[in-house]
Amino acid sequence: MSDSTTPAQPVPPSSVVLVSGGSRGLGLAIVTDLLEADLKVAAFARTVTPELAKLADAHPERAHVGSVDVTDLVAAQAFVRAAEERLGPIDGVVNNAAVGQDSLHVHTATADIARIIETNLTAPLQLTRLAVRRMLAQGRRGRIVNITSICAQRGFPGLVAYSATKGGMDAATRSLARELGGRVLVNAVAPGFFASEMSAVLGQTQLDQIVRRTPTGQLTEPAEVVPVVRLLLRDQTNINGQVIVVDGAASI
Amino acid sequence: MKELSRAQIRDLMGEVLKNQGKALPADDAADLREVGFRSLDFSELALRVEDATGEELNFDAPGLRRIATVGDVLDFLVELQRQ
Repeated sequence: MSDSTTPAQPVPPSSVVLVSGGSRGLGLAIVTDLLEADLKVAAFARTVTPELAKLADAHPERAHVGSVDVTDLVAAQAFVRAAEERLGPIDGVVNNAAVGQDSLHVHTATADIARIIETNLTAPLQLTRLAVRRMLAQGRRGRIVNITSICAQRGFPGLVAYSATKGGMDAATRSLARELGGRVLVNAVAPGFFASEMSAVLGQTQLDQIVRRTPTGQLTEPAEVVPVVRLLLRDQTNINGQVIVVDGAASI
Repeated sequence: MKELSRAQIRDLMGEVLKNQGKALPADDAADLREVGFRSLDFSELALRVEDATGEELNFDAPGLRRIATVGDVLDFLVELQRQ
């Protein structure tokens, strides 16, 4: 079978976006931003926080939220079906759900390593497979944005398994972009350390060191990542298979 | 589960340091930076305790960041065995 490329129609902007891990932090900021941009958003997380519930209440026609553990594929499938019945076919996915790590590799329980890999690597691959199968079966085009991390490209102690999963998602991003032949655009956004949340796993000394080495002199804020995610979901750019680092040049 | 006493852990800590040509002070208040006992040395000590007890000792990093003295090391590992 020929895989030769023929000029394809541009992938239209996503209009119904599935966001995993949308209840707090960057995920919540992404959901908020997409709703403010008049998109329809299906967001799930292990726990629907009051903030996410409030967003859903404010946009009853365009938001569908639910409590789903991303590692529970059956529950994720049911959520996607329910979301599509309510909002229409999903043509955008943001794989954001992840668990962090704060332990040296030799002192990390094997069960914890397995849990990190299941949540941060296996689950988004499964969710992506589910979404892409639905897109292809219905003859639709779409866009996928994987939220990875600077940890995939630079080494940080205490984040070995976490970094491995994020590196895995960066690699999957490239291969998926090739595999899907321009019918689905697949990109990753790799933030640097946020001042809150994931940065809680670093000591103050490490945080101070990162800030000193960052040309912009600041840690990344979710609000600075959100426009990049929106661009990849909405704009006509021909960006595909890329990992876009948002870290103030700390890693260069 | 076999559990090492504080004194036994202190002996193991002394061995870790001795292998590097360093000495373990008798004073529990001794600062680890002055002793030259680093985070990987702590890992080595924890793994030695594991070998002796046959039980894995898994823990997150924040606890390690609060450790500043010889006594902190011993207290941490004694407590960890009981968890």
